[in-house]
Amino acid sequence: MQNRANNFIPMAQVALNDADLQTAVSFGTQAGFNKRQAAMFADGEAHGQAMRQQAAAIRRRALNNLPELLEQAEANMQANGIQVLWAVDGEEANRHALEIARRHAAQSVVKSKSMVTEETGLNHALEAAGLDVLETDLGEYIVQLGEETPSHIVVPILHKTKESIRDLLIEKAHMPPTDDPETMARFARETLRPRFLAADMGISGGNFIIAETGSLALVSNEGNARLVTSLPRVHVAFVGIEKVVATVEDYATLTQVLPRSATGQALTVYTHLVNGPRQPGEADGPEHVYVILLDNGRSAIYNSDYCEALACIRCGACLNGCPVYQATGGHAYGWVYPGPIGAVVTPLLTGLENATPLPYASTLCGMCKEVCPVDIDIPRMLLDLRRDLVAQGHGGAVWGVGMKAWAWGAKSPTRFGLGGRVAASGRRFMPQRLPGPLNGWTDYRRTPQFAAKSFRQLWQERKGADDEQP
Amino acid sequence: MSSRERILEKLREGERPFSPSNPPAFYQPMTPVADDDPAALRARFVVEAQKAACVVHPVKTPEAAIGVILHLLGGETAVSAWDLAQIPIPGLADALEQAGKTLVGQDASARVGLTGVDAALAATGSVVVMSGNGRWRTASLLPPVHIAVVQGNQIMPHLESWWAAQKADGLEHTRQRSNIVIITGPSRTADIAMQLVMGMHGPQELHLILLG
Amino acid sequence: MVERPSPRGKRVSLFVTCMVDMLYPDTGLSVVDVLTHLGVEVDFPLGQTCCGQPAFNAGYWPEARQVAIQFLKAFKEAEVIVAPSGSCAAMVRHEFPRLFADDPAWRGEAERVAAITWEFSEFIVEGLGVTDLHGRLPTPHTFAFHDSCHGLRLLGLKEAGRILVGNLQNATLVDWADSENCCGFGGLFSVKMADVSGAMLGKKLDRIAQSEVDAILTGDVSCLTHMNGGLEKQGQAARVRHIADVLAEGVRHAEPGQ
Repeated sequence: MQNRANNFIPMAQVALNDADLQTAVSFGTQAGFNKRQAAMFADGEAHGQAMRQQAAAIRRRALNNLPELLEQAEANMQANGIQVLWAVDGEEANRHALEIARRHAAQSVVKSKSMVTEETGLNHALEAAGLDVLETDLGEYIVQLGEETPSHIVVPILHKTKESIRDLLIEKAHMPPTDDPETMARFARETLRPRFLAADMGISGGNFIIAETGSLALVSNEGNARLVTSLPRVHVAFVGIEKVVATVEDYATLTQVLPRSATGQALTVYTHLVNGPRQPGEADGPEHVYVILLDNGRSAIYNSDYCEALACIRCGACLNGCPVYQATGGHAYGWVYPGPIGAVVTPLLTGLENATPLPYASTLCGMCKEVCPVDIDIPRMLLDLRRDLVAQGHGGAVWGVGMKAWAWGAKSPTRFGLGGRVAASGRRFMPQRLPGPLNGWTDYRRTPQFAAKSFRQLWQERKGADDEQP
Repeated sequence: MSSRERILEKLREGERPFSPSNPPAFYQPMTPVADDDPAALRARFVVEAQKAACVVHPVKTPEAAIGVILHLLGGETAVSAWDLAQIPIPGLADALEQAGKTLVGQDASARVGLTGVDAALAATGSVVVMSGNGRWRTASLLPPVHIAVVQGNQIMPHLESWWAAQKADGLEHTRQRSNIVIITGPSRTADIAMQLVMGMHGPQELHLILLG
Repeated sequence: MVERPSPRGKRVSLFVTCMVDMLYPDTGLSVVDVLTHLGVEVDFPLGQTCCGQPAFNAGYWPEARQVAIQFLKAFKEAEVIVAPSGSCAAMVRHEFPRLFADDPAWRGEAERVAAITWEFSEFIVEGLGVTDLHGRLPTPHTFAFHDSCHGLRLLGLKEAGRILVGNLQNATLVDWADSENCCGFGGLFSVKMADVSGAMLGKKLDRIAQSEVDAILTGDVSCLTHMNGGLEKQGQAARVRHIADVLAEGVRHAEPGQ
């Protein structure tokens, strides 16, 4: 996907002025957040927190052993009859998929939701090679019809009102007019069903890979992921290398903490495991199953102080809880992953210089860390990214000069106190509009007033004692 | 150097990112089940399955089970069923034949699918369905109505206990099942303005015939 | 919560914070008056300026270090440090050790002050074990709390302020559904991402308008400045007050003999 993260500020402004988007995003995030609260703490606050810690430890243990677990996963998947391919970057992953399609003379492809394939731009690559690709997750199908991009990890069209979805289905898919979501969903079912049945190849993502058994784990509600992985004769799964977990016990915790955080469900409707292609004697299932393990910048993150970002299980809870995401929606973040986790992984996966506003798109309120089912310290990483941005010269010249000046003043109590007295005596002349980059303050707030006498002056007057020099 | 080698080598380049730790001796189950005697599990299963929008049909005899199935089939003549030997209702094959029903395997036009289950989970009202000979995946996936036959003694507390049982039997058996799905209710979506719609690409109705 | 040495009986060095120093000096005096009322000896190291948080949060860590070093120098003799700000206390407690992790000259001192720094309300309730100041407001008032994010999520501040205000006579606390929602300040975020900050502030101000209490109380003047600045821009009266000012008011009007 094209990366527009450097345009966050103007895109956020567009989003703030889009009344329909504001309504939809506000409603969607609130609903998601409330459902998460209810589900995570259904058995009490202490239990919910304990499960978060259990899940957090599972992910970190897996990351700590990542190379060994990948080898074990590969060996077990191969023993099950799954073919395992590795891809250093998105282009290589896409090439693997194309080669597989050619090998099996696959022309039509049905896809279930995979954020990783958005990273690699798989759909465009397949279409450019003449394949016919259909997104089958309802939200992704609508995104595809509208030639848009998803705006949320779990609910791709969170930013769209029911009316705009209706209009899109009428215009692009020739749906008979209706305002009823159930009718719209039936229409999509009937329209897409023949495509599932006729498809040569199914492409899915992967929520987890269980190393102990060589299983690919998927969670879904609609049934399309099951159709994609059961009907066509070839199934290809794209999975980030960080998704491996060690044991079935680890998987049991994660596959339950994920839906609670994402949609407020104890389990998604379909919690399934692909163990391999159809066995002898089985009447359905793919003849060939491939898993493409994708790096695409993850190994670089692994070797950095940001490794815990790889613990993410893509639940979207941080998006729903983030007051910035609630205000701007997902498109403003400019790339595949929006919200707090997006603000961290976009610069890390695509380069700091390609996402300079994102680490600053936060008040560091900490809600993301509070709702993360695996306790990722996103605020800590945002601060570190800001440090890295400044150190690499992306801080902006004006801010740099301003900060140096401020530090020069603030590191000396004499200058600090003097500065305060100057500002206080000039307070009658405080401008209605602050200069330069500070003018954003006065767009929404009155300028704060320096007091006639600072605290340190009042203290000294009270004590009437000599100054104690530091 | 292959991509595989490049990736693994990169991952092994630096120090391990976290301090080493062992798995816990005991994993807390996500959904605790306090009372695990069979009657309590059964009661919990029914409650949770209904919460997940399943329709539960408790029956005491095979004849009663057959009665429910024929009732749900109504005027439909085709049923996409598993090999009936895999469904624990004696007399089912004869009853369906006498009622003029045709078993259509994986015919995508069938409106009703009929399967057994491998296990049921009380904590979430879920059924575990594994693929295998005579147990096609599509029977629980394509038709708008899915009927699943559950025996009371198949009900376990939760997912964690199911995995423990799999491990006790040897995970090689589990791995040989090419597809395992834990089904909790009929398919659904909330993608349209967060409004929940039951029935998306998978079944729109899930009926659980609870034997015994 | 990490166990910290009890501050009882020790001299308190007030870390008044740069914003209180320059913009709300009366709040500083409120802190002094409340602590003095509790029999605490309070001093004010004049060498203090700022903890360096503005630069730190903006990613300018070398500049932040320069200012933080001045903090370390100023508080060299401190036994206990108290600040009327969750975010400033969190800066010292959580970030100073990180900021100086690679600096052998200052690391020890950074860790020392981190271990002795308290936010004002938690100092009284958890540090001193005092829950009732025996204070009394001159007239009845209703209050709701805004839980400033750094205090809430980094320091675990939630109950202490509510306990102290709740025990003032003539003070009634009202639950407020919006208490844990960020006001949108976020330091330089308020100017760098002014439109998003303004949108978040707008939602907060709507909730303040709906709250029907006399004042919203907070432990952070940064949030307070942001919210009151927005209220005044809208032509409304400033309604956000620092908890220290309300407690001081209660203490100054306490009945004799208490």
